[in-house]
Amino acid sequence: MVTAYVMVKASTGDVDGLKHSMLNLHDGVESVSIVAGDVDFIVKTSVDDTAQVKEIAASIHEMSGIEDTQTYIAMD
Amino acid sequence: MRFVIIGSGRVGLRTARVLRDEGHEVTLVEIDDDRAERAREADFQVVEGDGSREEVLERAGVVDADALGALTSDLNVNFAACSIAKHHGLRTVLRVDEDYREEVYQQYADQVDEVVYPERLGAIGAKNALLGGSVRAIADIAQNLQVVLMTVTDDSPMHGYSIEEVALPGQARVLAFGKADRPMGIPVTDDSLETGDRLAVLADFEVLGEVRQLIVGENSVAAAAGGA
Repeated sequence: MVTAYVMVKASTGDVDGLKHSMLNLHDGVESVSIVAGDVDFIVKTSVDDTAQVKEIAASIHEMSGIEDTQTYIAMD
Repeated sequence: MRFVIIGSGRVGLRTARVLRDEGHEVTLVEIDDDRAERAREADFQVVEGDGSREEVLERAGVVDADALGALTSDLNVNFAACSIAKHHGLRTVLRVDEDYREEVYQQYADQVDEVVYPERLGAIGAKNALLGGSVRAIADIAQNLQVVLMTVTDDSPMHGYSIEEVALPGQARVLAFGKADRPMGIPVTDDSLETGDRLAVLADFEVLGEVRQLIVGENSVAAAAGGA
């Protein structure tokens, strides 16, 4: 199993709608938190391999209302 | 009242000046040497350090202050400062760096009492300046309620009448009145309307057009609706 965290910056104030869309994107999306600071969401994913992490991050990046993503893969 | 302002840049220092001018006590927190020095030269009390750290805020007197304005350009610092201040029971104001975040923080951030996006206020001023004319929006009170400053022109149908005689629609009120080149004041019913006189009117969007026709006249610049 691979755990990864995707930091997401939005470009719209409809964070509820975006949160909902990200939760329904892929079975590997475990949680989506709206956070304070220079990113707007932290998405936690739990999947079989890193290829799926990449797939999820790419899908989030392509959503309208998302400006940028940055992915961190857990090593422990 | 006692205020702690985080950040002595364009927004923070100006806010501190306005508060001081109104007789309040202000302490600034600034991380940058040059900006801290500039604020000191302007006779402000400045604590140098990171406004997201509790001991720095304590040195700035957060424990006895009434409110904290987190006005730096760094959202992480601003949010941390508001969280600490809220813990001490202060009223908190957070500056956001992008317009969409205004509503996000209003909705989610319990630590934050008010959110400000300075660029929005600047844009309203710039829009009014660009449009010129006889109608300018002053403030959005609610979604469909605006305070508008209108100037009486030669075309005004109410020209020569008194304020009492101006029959405004039901969803509109005259809040203030000023003769041309005189300061605004509370309206007196027998003030008469002449070219160049100004009226601050609170009106529902639905009747803004009607109010404009009455006070300004038919050929006025249609400039009121919508903020920035």
